[in-house]
Amino acid sequence: MNLIDVQNLHFSYPEGIELLKGIDLAFDHRSTAIIGQNGAGKTTFVKLLKGLLKPVSGDILINGVNTKEISVAKLAAHIGLVFQNPGDQIFKSSVYDEVIFGPHNIGIPEDEADESTKKALIEVGLENKVNDNPYDLSFSERKLISIASILAMNTQIVLLDEPTIAQDDYGKQLIQGLVRKLEGEGRLVISILHDMDFVAETFTRTLVFQNGKVTMDNDTKSVFSQTEAVRRAYLEPPHVTQLGNRLGYTETYLTAEQFVKDSLRKREEFKQ
Amino acid sequence: MSKVVVNNLKYRYPLTENLAINGLTFEIEQGELIGIIGRNGAGKSTLCAALTGLVPHFFKGAYGGSVHIDGINVKESKLSYISREVGIVFQNPFTQMTGAKETVKEELAFGLENLGVPKLEMLRRIEDALNLLEIDHLRDKNPLELSGGQMQRVAIASILVMHPGLLVLDEPTSQLDPQGTAEVFRAIKKLSNQGMTIIMVEHKIEEIAEYADRVMFLDNGKIVAFDTPTNVFSMNHLEEHGLRPPVFTRVCKGLGIRDLSGLYPVTLSEAVNEVQKFNESD
Amino acid sequence: MQNISLYVNKKSFVHDVDFLTKLIYIFVFIAIPIISGSVIIGLLAILISLILHTCAGVLKKLIPIVALSLFVLLSVIIVQAAFIPGYHIVFFSLGPVHFYQEGLIHASLIIVRFLDILLVSSLTVLTTRPSDIVETLQRKGLSHRMGYVINSIFQIIPQMVSSMKTISDAQRSRGMETEGNLFVRVKAFLPLIGPVVISSLVGTRERAMALEARAFSADAKRTYFHEEMKYRYKTPVRIILLLLLVVSIIWRVL
Ligand SMILES: Nc1ncnc2c1ncn2[C@@H]1O[C@H](COP(=O)(O)OP(=O)(O)OP(=O)(O)O)[C@@H](O)[C@H]1O
Ligand SMILES: Nc1ncnc2c1ncn2[C@@H]1O[C@H](COP(=O)(O)OP(=O)(O)OP(=O)(O)O)[C@@H](O)[C@H]1O
Ligand SMILES: [Mg+2]
Ligand SMILES: [Mg+2]
Repeated sequence: MNLIDVQNLHFSYPEGIELLKGIDLAFDHRSTAIIGQNGAGKTTFVKLLKGLLKPVSGDILINGVNTKEISVAKLAAHIGLVFQNPGDQIFKSSVYDEVIFGPHNIGIPEDEADESTKKALIEVGLENKVNDNPYDLSFSERKLISIASILAMNTQIVLLDEPTIAQDDYGKQLIQGLVRKLEGEGRLVISILHDMDFVAETFTRTLVFQNGKVTMDNDTKSVFSQTEAVRRAYLEPPHVTQLGNRLGYTETYLTAEQFVKDSLRKREEFKQ
Repeated sequence: MSKVVVNNLKYRYPLTENLAINGLTFEIEQGELIGIIGRNGAGKSTLCAALTGLVPHFFKGAYGGSVHIDGINVKESKLSYISREVGIVFQNPFTQMTGAKETVKEELAFGLENLGVPKLEMLRRIEDALNLLEIDHLRDKNPLELSGGQMQRVAIASILVMHPGLLVLDEPTSQLDPQGTAEVFRAIKKLSNQGMTIIMVEHKIEEIAEYADRVMFLDNGKIVAFDTPTNVFSMNHLEEHGLRPPVFTRVCKGLGIRDLSGLYPVTLSEAVNEVQKFNESD
Repeated sequence: MQNISLYVNKKSFVHDVDFLTKLIYIFVFIAIPIISGSVIIGLLAILISLILHTCAGVLKKLIPIVALSLFVLLSVIIVQAAFIPGYHIVFFSLGPVHFYQEGLIHASLIIVRFLDILLVSSLTVLTTRPSDIVETLQRKGLSHRMGYVINSIFQIIPQMVSSMKTISDAQRSRGMETEGNLFVRVKAFLPLIGPVVISSLVGTRERAMALEARAFSADAKRTYFHEEMKYRYKTPVRIILLLLLVVSIIWRVL
């Protein structure tokens, strides 16, 4: 069974125009990036998956359960969402309390909750800020707190809304490691991103949102190989892909390492 | 006279132990486009606050050295005066709306009303900014009901309309889609060519390499390097300060492509040229 | 963010009237029925206000406001007509409770005044944009800091509502039950209060910086994005209103 099934999903905000115009998707455990223009409806879509918004028509099934038929709170044990704005998510006055809030609510026993909270804080590198007030921390650290508070709940599905905002290279690598680890454990990570280099290096599958529809849905490499379609969706291929394209290479490169390795090999072959 | 003169600037936030900024000395000329880079906690936002007078007027704490803008000491003048000359777009777009206005166009007008800009001029500037940031279709929307990227565009526009002589941008494109990012960089480059002095904090290193005249690389409140993108990104040991050079530079480093003085390509077009030569050489 | 200010954005000649003229209208139309002491005059004032509501297309919005006040009105009737001692002429009886004629007359006077005040103010509230009110005051010399404060007061409730919604979303997202029967809702509501207060305090600091960045404290002579509400018939309307007031005073004194 799919972890998530989306069937003919339509959505509009009250008094707004139709934003999502019939989306059909199925998610297995492959890590998936969602990319698309500002205002395309990406955040709205993950809020629908999370159950915070309800479809105007169509259905969303999480592990076979329709989001219309279960409370958000009950669903929370299965699906976690890191909000785009950490300010929308954080409401406790210590980092520890913030992160343990979820585990407590979904009924994880105290010592286990404590353990997974501490583990999550180590995973995002905030183990030294356990007792700080989240409001005193920087924007990038607040984003990491909101990631930790979802990790601590050990949900089968993790939704990340622009997790790399404000992160430096170290923070990005850390998040990349987390995504790969979760995928390796058979858990589903769906993440919205505007950083195409990061998408290319990290995600197995990529979806493009445009004009209320999913216009591209494929493994990441195939998506970025269609340069024209990507540009039409107000996106750009990753920088290294652009380099390969400009050089007239037919191969679609997703990482600098691959590019270098191939170039050196071709040069060797050429020399012989 | 330089537009910005900073002399041995030091600053520590109240109730903290370490200097967030630890002895910065530099000058910036009018019309320059400066990129500020560095890892989280390096002191980038604090420097922005010091350049716009929020440090020390808004954030108290220990302050040493000086910041002069157009020859005027920021510490000794009032915020009300500085805010006419210096514009700042903050890191977090979600907290930059005034909360007093019901539509995007009124939100853009807010600063202009405060500056006393005449009505006709106001309308012209607002139209320009709406077009430049491609938010014309949002003009009558509530600023608090926008997507993250839309809000960030409004935040940039609402400062741009004020036509500051010095514009400080703290990660202004963090939530923009790739084409939006490119457009903002192009627009900013154009403004700088027209004489606006621009200081921009960014993690998007490839764009900084492409557009910045000079790059200031901060770590631990100190300047690691302040030079042209080529010089800065060709340095060794960047990784020790938490910085991954642009992907084009990394590719060229991997292929051993560099010029006689040891400099690497840093932009797409430079890399295209050099890799082509590399492929054709034997 | 929900906009729950009562203002109805429409075009009508009532909407066109500037705020100061409306203030005069409020004052005159409340004063005249009181000065005259006549129920008929009061009813006439109510009728005029009702017509104006209709012209402005806000009559529908009036219904919930009046319905809400009906409860208050009914209790006035009952108390006035039945329970105030000293009345003699029984008008009608409901079981053991007698309604006295004097009481009813008195009650109708109160009701008419009450309705009059309600209608006159609701017309202004429903047809004037809150920010126009503030801007009018600013142009008359109110400092723009005070203006901002007043504007924020108009927005306190919508802001609280939206910030409560945000935090409650954050909480149910992480497994706290907020949907269900009254008990669950109340239980979920209590832990909201702390965070809402804190977030508005923290918000205040960031907001203050955001305002500084928009030259909020600049001492330039301000200009306005919105044209000053210029009402063509401002002077004649104001004169007529004040004349009505004078006439009613004279009539009363004679
Ligand atoms: N609460 C709301 N009420 C009304 N309209 C809204 C609301 N939230 C978002 N919108 C509108 O819906 C559209 C989609 O918003 P959404 O936040 O889903 O976009 P997004 O794809 O996540 O964009 P971004 O990349 O900028 O975050 C936008 O045009 C936005 O203005
Ligand atoms: N309001 C504050 N109070 C106390 N300390 C602060 C405050 N703001 C920042 N700091 C500290 O000052 C140092 C520099 O922070 P700053 O925000 O300038 O870094 P930054 O380079 O902008 O980082 P980022 O990339 O995360 O935005 C950090 O050690 C930070 O913890
Ligand atoms: Mg979004
Ligand atoms: Mg910063």
